[in-house]
Amino acid sequence: MADEFDRFLESALAPPDRLPDRKFVARVQARIALEERLAAQHSALVHDLLKQLLALAAVAAGLWWIGRAAPVASLFSQSPAVGLAILTTLFSLLVVLLGRRPDGKVVPAH
Amino acid sequence: MLVEKYERSLRGFLSRTFGRDVADDIAQDAFLKAWRAAGQYDGRARYSTWLTRIAWRCRLDVLRRHRADDVPEASAALSAGLSAEVDDMLGRLSESERASLVLCEGHGWTHVEAAELLGLPLGTLKSTVARAKAKCREMWEGAARG
Repeated sequence: MADEFDRFLESALAPPDRLPDRKFVARVQARIALEERLAAQHSALVHDLLKQLLALAAVAAGLWWIGRAAPVASLFSQSPAVGLAILTTLFSLLVVLLGRRPDGKVVPAH
Repeated sequence: MLVEKYERSLRGFLSRTFGRDVADDIAQDAFLKAWRAAGQYDGRARYSTWLTRIAWRCRLDVLRRHRADDVPEASAALSAGLSAEVDDMLGRLSESERASLVLCEGHGWTHVEAAELLGLPLGTLKSTVARAKAKCREMWEGAARG
């Protein structure tokens, strides 16, 4: 049978009898929300990166295919400067297109 | 929400075992880890047991990380929210004695649950609880005699 000491010990060590600590709960919830936001951003970034890599690969493959055509290949071999200008222009266009966010704004360079 | 439901008992256990300042940090980490690992909770143990196990591992991680920095014994910072008498009693126990006593005598855990959490054989856990209780009883009776 529990004596006075047992009762004292039990009540002293029991979880505190109080309402939930709102400040603590809010702090934990804020950390969880932040973690959720970061995870969402991370997955969006990975998704975008994959899309951009795929687009780059497709464009590179297209350019390679066009470059193999006889008239283009002879143009490049006769005047490499024109070929370089065309490639630079295409690359710049590509950078601008890929740099666009879904809302249409251009991502500023940092 | 789960944090609201379990913070009282988890922080109660942690603050009595490690001290309040340490307790709040560990509790936050534990809730965050529990949220991340929610899919791994299989319902075999009570949720509070699972959560306390995560918190216990968080404490072990902190100790492992700071072993070189000589982490102070938590007993010095037990005070907040406890009477001086209980504070003094718990401060004289080792960390595993405190944890065993708080879980089994205060939070109603079975010896098996506590042994599993603390990584102790069942017999060792039982003797740890008995020893801790005997020490506290001695101190309590000594204080009563004046």
